[in-house]
Amino acid sequence: MSCGEHNFREKLTEICREFNNDPNELISILHKAQGEFGFLPQKVQETIANIIKIPSSRIYGVVTFYSYFTMEPKGKYPISICTGTACYVKGAEKVLEAFEEKLNIKNGQTTSDGKFSMSSLRCVGACGLAPVVMVGDKIYGSVNADQVEKILSEYD
Amino acid sequence: MKNKQIKIALKNCGKIDPERIKDYIAVDGYKALGSCLSEKMPGDVIDIIKSSGLRGRGGGGFPTGKKWEIASKFDADQKYVICNADEGDPGAFMDRSILEGDPHSVIEAMTICGYATGATEGYVYIRAEYPLAIKRLLIAIGQAKEVGLLGKNILNSGFDFEIGLKYGAGAFVCGEETALIASMEGKRGNPVNKPPYPVECGYKGKPSNVNNVETFANIPKIINKGASWFSSIGTEGSKGTKVFALAGKVKNVGLVEVPMGTTLRELIFDIGGGIVNGKKFKAAQTGGPSGGCLTEKHLDTRIDYESLKACGSMMGSGGMIVMDEDDCMVAIAEFYLGFTVEESCGKCVPCREGNYVLHEILKKITHGEGTLEDLDKLKNISEVVKATSLCGLGQTSPNPVLSTLSNFYDEYYDHVVNKKCAAKKCRSLLTYSIIEENCIGCLQCKRVCPADAISGELKEKHVIDPEACIKCGACVSKCKFNAIVVE
Amino acid sequence: MKKIESIDKLNALRTYLENEKAVSESKNVIVKVAMSTCSIATGSEQVMEYFQEQMKLEAIGSKIIKTGCMGLCHSEPTVEITVPGKEPVIFGKVDQKRVEIIIKDYIKLGKEVDGVIN
Repeated sequence: MSCGEHNFREKLTEICREFNNDPNELISILHKAQGEFGFLPQKVQETIANIIKIPSSRIYGVVTFYSYFTMEPKGKYPISICTGTACYVKGAEKVLEAFEEKLNIKNGQTTSDGKFSMSSLRCVGACGLAPVVMVGDKIYGSVNADQVEKILSEYD
Repeated sequence: MKNKQIKIALKNCGKIDPERIKDYIAVDGYKALGSCLSEKMPGDVIDIIKSSGLRGRGGGGFPTGKKWEIASKFDADQKYVICNADEGDPGAFMDRSILEGDPHSVIEAMTICGYATGATEGYVYIRAEYPLAIKRLLIAIGQAKEVGLLGKNILNSGFDFEIGLKYGAGAFVCGEETALIASMEGKRGNPVNKPPYPVECGYKGKPSNVNNVETFANIPKIINKGASWFSSIGTEGSKGTKVFALAGKVKNVGLVEVPMGTTLRELIFDIGGGIVNGKKFKAAQTGGPSGGCLTEKHLDTRIDYESLKACGSMMGSGGMIVMDEDDCMVAIAEFYLGFTVEESCGKCVPCREGNYVLHEILKKITHGEGTLEDLDKLKNISEVVKATSLCGLGQTSPNPVLSTLSNFYDEYYDHVVNKKCAAKKCRSLLTYSIIEENCIGCLQCKRVCPADAISGELKEKHVIDPEACIKCGACVSKCKFNAIVVE
Repeated sequence: MKKIESIDKLNALRTYLENEKAVSESKNVIVKVAMSTCSIATGSEQVMEYFQEQMKLEAIGSKIIKTGCMGLCHSEPTVEITVPGKEPVIFGKVDQKRVEIIIKDYIKLGKEVDGVIN
């Protein structure tokens, strides 16, 4: 985290207050916090626990349960490869392998320069465009392994 | 053949601007709500929905009117209406389309449900992966509030109703009602034993009526056109229409809405345009990870809740993935079980451990290490997991295994006994070799092989060393002379 | 928009809006551009902008509406065109070039053009 310790506690206090420090709203709070910091490291979890007065183990339990939350920082350009059924039967696995090869990382990892990170997700609901790859918010449809290099070059 | 389609849930999708409430009002929007609040008692509304025969479109198929009736009977200071928009079934996207294309219909239906069941608060539990649907839903809620179709004293009737959003965070199990409610309360999405059902003891311990997006989208049209109009469409036990998301190896990938009782053949070949690239139809998977594979012999089965169950599949939310001769059914079963293993919440042993073992056995088979004994094990464990799991996820997760085992036993047999994968999907079972007559010795394949498994000099016949070959397929795509065969 | 205070007012508003819609449809070419997640991914926003630009340039009375998904994922971006007095026609895989053809040949000259989805 780039901001100072004081600042980030302040930010989290603000987020929690928005949801009335209500533990029922934990998932909304975590969404907001991840949107702010990009990921949810232990420190963030402990601070939230402290503010809304619940055990940090409960927060850890929630963060690790839901695939949307991450404890690792993502790359500047997070790449999500859809591995839903429609994408699977249309060859998403080959696309995933091509990204792994070109970026020289495994699925779930971030490149050493912090530029790209890779993850697979289950269905973005754009099955008409299968296989689907998302870079940030941009959706690429009907992707095949040969297009991977071209997609990556857009982010040079 | 598009005229086989009847659009009820999708009536306004693609027809109106979802971000303009005026567009919705101009096509009879909020007319149903108006008529409920002014002319009908809550019991009347429930009677209409009951006699329409509408059943839950999220998968289970529970009669919607009956659910509303039960919810209305409980006495509580607060009740809730919950819209399940956690469309986690991979390959289904009808809920997203409805929320993106016609969000007001869901808001109107939830309000009607609140009036009928005695609830004044509603929540839409929606996947965070659907940013556009969230945006349009928020706009629609804001507009409905602004004009007094949501909020306090709606249309001066004395009835109050508010709708809020709750966000999912990527957990398939949260499509299950009790897990969904746990998630709404900020907890891990672990399901709990039923009964009590959420309709008695749900969100914050209060009676909560949970319906799926597509179910809600049917409500205003049923109120406007009448129960008998709705029940005249469909089959004996399944009334109305169903939206299917046709995807996979079918030509016209898209959303279609057909009367219950339409055959698979009409869906895939008439509306879907058949299989891409002139390939042969092999299977259609319905019901996602909880469903099963339908085959050629089911093509003329009339699709409804009961007939799909009889075929070893289920309606599910309406995802329909079409597969062709290039898809290996063992690998498909492995794919689904891989999904289940990742998505099992881990609370109950049969689902957590049973599915893991099933997945391991399937992996073994696709890697050429399976035995005939494994096939028996698959069947036995599947049945135990189905019978003993706590929630719907585990109770249905072995369906892809059981249905492929019964419909494609030959393929499993081929994998374990002959160590062959006819669809050429299971890499470990393939062998790459060079046809001598076709090889001109151009060195292309040798250069591209990452494992140095190809030997031979220029203008000499090349040879692939099967021990060193990693079966990556790089040589095949390089060879211009069709000299490399994969078996 | 003002608050709708009663059922009667809602009914009156509906009648008014229905009329307004009918009048607009009798005078204008109605262009509906599907704008769902998948349509946007295939470029429907650009198609809509281009329609707006070109219809203005050609001075054709038109109403351009963004809608949800038409369900025709295989042919995105999709556009439904209704010329006054005619049945709506859906065009698939619409790009800038096809927008021009649709305007010049279908809307202005009433000719049959490629890319229609039945």
